[in-house]
Amino acid sequence: MKGQFLSDEQQDALQEVLNISMGQAADALARLIQTQVQLSIPAVIQSSSDHFIGLLLQPAPHQIAQQSFLGELNGEMIALMTEQGNEAIARLMHYDSPMVEQDKQELQLELTNILAGACLHGLISQLNFKIQLAAPVLLNPASLHASRLNWQQALLMEVQFQIPEFNFYARILICLKQESLWPLTQHLNLLLL
Amino acid sequence: MPIPITIADDSALSRKTIRRALPPQWDVSICEASNGKEAITAVKHGLAEVLFLDLQMPEMDGYQVLTYLKQHHEKAVVIVISADIQTQAQAMVSALGAFRFLKKPLDPALLAQTLKELGLI
Repeated sequence: MKGQFLSDEQQDALQEVLNISMGQAADALARLIQTQVQLSIPAVIQSSSDHFIGLLLQPAPHQIAQQSFLGELNGEMIALMTEQGNEAIARLMHYDSPMVEQDKQELQLELTNILAGACLHGLISQLNFKIQLAAPVLLNPASLHASRLNWQQALLMEVQFQIPEFNFYARILICLKQESLWPLTQHLNLLLL
Repeated sequence: MPIPITIADDSALSRKTIRRALPPQWDVSICEASNGKEAITAVKHGLAEVLFLDLQMPEMDGYQVLTYLKQHHEKAVVIVISADIQTQAQAMVSALGAFRFLKKPLDPALLAQTLKELGLI
């Protein structure tokens, strides 16, 4: 499924905007831990809520944080990271080892702020939107169900960050609700003029 | 005689952004490449005395293009324009022979200043 809400030109523009945003996010993390972060090519797809939940279910032990935003664009951001990867980052950031549960949660929220926050900030600043961001919360993967999401179809943007030598892996999903597609396409069109 | 330059980037928006940021008084003939292979073809055909090069591209990425140009002693002036702005990426392209590293989103004033410093305008 491609991002059928968008024309090819709009899709290309959104991917480029995401590329720049994730570059800024990776740079923020790389500076913090003095290690190079690898970037994926961003994906933009149309997603149903069931498909979206499927994306969040992963075999390896992982942690999920969610952050909602509203304003000129409405949607949510999900950050998925593996426990193993986060523990390696924790050592680089001088957390006590082994980590207590509270530290694990704090780090997950911190990494969500850095990576997902920078991605979203890059997106809205390049496209000239104003939004408010709620505080990130942790989600229990087992409690995820499509009926808990208050949307059916959304535009999904996915970027991935990796640090192979530490087995660090983070997926950031930015999910835009359908009512935000019209303003999104209008602002993308301004870039394409 | 206009200077042959090539803009290599997989994003059409990004190529357009770079094209628009070029100083209007700079007399150039512009070729566009959407991946690293096309960029190398452009250099081989004399279409890229100056090459604006993205790093993340399909087929062949910017690092591979720089490596190829270095190994084959091609004389393009390469200016990397990249979304990956990590210091490690900047160090790597400089070691591979890129003349300059510019960050996306591209600042036209910085591009003009860079071209001036390199004696191109």
